[in-house]
Amino acid sequence: MTSGILRFELTTARSGRTVLLFAGGFALASLVVAVVGLSAGGVLAVQGFARTSISLLQLVVWVVPLVALLSGAAAGAECREVEFVFALPVTRTDVLLSRWAAHVVVLGAGLLLGLGGAGIVIGAFAGAADGLRYIALTGISVLLLAASLAIGVMIGILAPTRTRGLALAIGAWFVLGIGLDLLAIAALAILPPGGASWELVALLAVNPVAAARVLGLGLFGADVLAGPTGAALRAVLSGWGAWVLVGTLIVWTALPLLAAARALRKRDL
Amino acid sequence: MISVRQLRKDFGNRIALAPIDLDVRAGETVALVGPNGAGKSTLLRLLAGIITPSGGTAQIDGRDIVTAGPDARRRLGYLAQRLGVPGSTVLGDLARLVATVRGLHASVAFAALDRAGFGLRLGAPLAELSGGQRQRAMLELAGLGDVGVLLLDEPSISLDADGAEDVRHAIRAARARGAAVLFASHHLHDVALLADRIVLLVEGRRVLEGTIAELAAAAGVAWHPDDTDPPIERIYRILVRRSRNDDKPLRLVRSDAA
Repeated sequence: MTSGILRFELTTARSGRTVLLFAGGFALASLVVAVVGLSAGGVLAVQGFARTSISLLQLVVWVVPLVALLSGAAAGAECREVEFVFALPVTRTDVLLSRWAAHVVVLGAGLLLGLGGAGIVIGAFAGAADGLRYIALTGISVLLLAASLAIGVMIGILAPTRTRGLALAIGAWFVLGIGLDLLAIAALAILPPGGASWELVALLAVNPVAAARVLGLGLFGADVLAGPTGAALRAVLSGWGAWVLVGTLIVWTALPLLAAARALRKRDL
Repeated sequence: MISVRQLRKDFGNRIALAPIDLDVRAGETVALVGPNGAGKSTLLRLLAGIITPSGGTAQIDGRDIVTAGPDARRRLGYLAQRLGVPGSTVLGDLARLVATVRGLHASVAFAALDRAGFGLRLGAPLAELSGGQRQRAMLELAGLGDVGVLLLDEPSISLDADGAEDVRHAIRAARARGAAVLFASHHLHDVALLADRIVLLVEGRRVLEGTIAELAAAAGVAWHPDDTDPPIERIYRILVRRSRNDDKPLRLVRSDAA
């Protein structure tokens, strides 16, 4: 990746309204969740990061993939409009990776602003207990953002038009956010008791959103809220489960980017 | 500088460009003319690496456009028929990118745009410029730095008289500094003024190539190079009509001469 193209993509991504709206909207929503969570708890000093983080995690696993998939799909589809840039002495892979990295940086800044602002409020009112776990939660959110953006970029490049790309991105969000969970529930109903653990862990491995959710809940010892897949993960993988899930998120970033780069290299614009 | 051998492009079953040979030397300007769908843009986009050939080879500065990738485009300037970047792209950001990838300081690009009258518009998205302004700004960026090969797809489109003159000036300047210029145009007046050679494409085939005098002779139009204002519109219409008439196939003047 050359610095020139990365800088260009960064300035372009930064000037996009969607990104600014996400940064502002996510920051506001995070602060609202933090404040409401603290108020509802009544005893602020006891609630602290753990309780609010679980509420914020729900915000992360719903909002971040949606925004990232849509932004990624739009960025991928826009690769069809950069004929002038592709005629410069740069590779298409450089342009693609720079575009993805720029969106990770800019959307990630919005994410950090939101979670950071919420963290300051929580720390100020409820103390710093579990603060490190909260920072780890922020890291998981960034990993989820990176993976969702990569999937979105791949969708945008493979889809024949920008509109179809955006529609497919919404479809992917539905499948990752709800569809695979429904599959897990169905698997539990069909498979014999005790025999479903590996299959459910496999469902986590094919779903970056579920992986991030289970990782986040696990941070605060709330695995029970992670549903059947979380329980299965703990049963099967024990202490290694978290690293498997981090690996899942990294693989879900790398593979779509590889597929997108391969498709873009061969594509006539 | 540009060397094309049996280069062709198919889109599915449709032949967009039949196998073509073409050379454009340093300091030479060659024009591609022909009706819509003749393959002019296809040839330019193949050379710029925007689309991949279905067969044949092409070299820019001695480097194969497929295997050398970005290296073949190191001294290439390309002006697309479409804008070629999203309209939200800020002119100054694009100028900085072009300068950086061509090994120049951004100030060189800004200065070039300033000279072209865009000094106060560097912070403007391209969508906020008029069609003619965009075309002139993109042309300025396409030719920035040590560009040895300039590919221009309809460079005068949507330009006013002053803008069209700027384009002619840019092409002459590129030729004067030794660049090979290949441009497609429907503005036959520009073609007559600028081109050392003209390639006529019809329905994806090269049907004729030569100087304007040779084309006039092939069309049976009386014209002498000492005369001003060659009747290029008339020559063009006759040649295109005859190229579609199987009874009277055109002869390739240059091949005959060889």
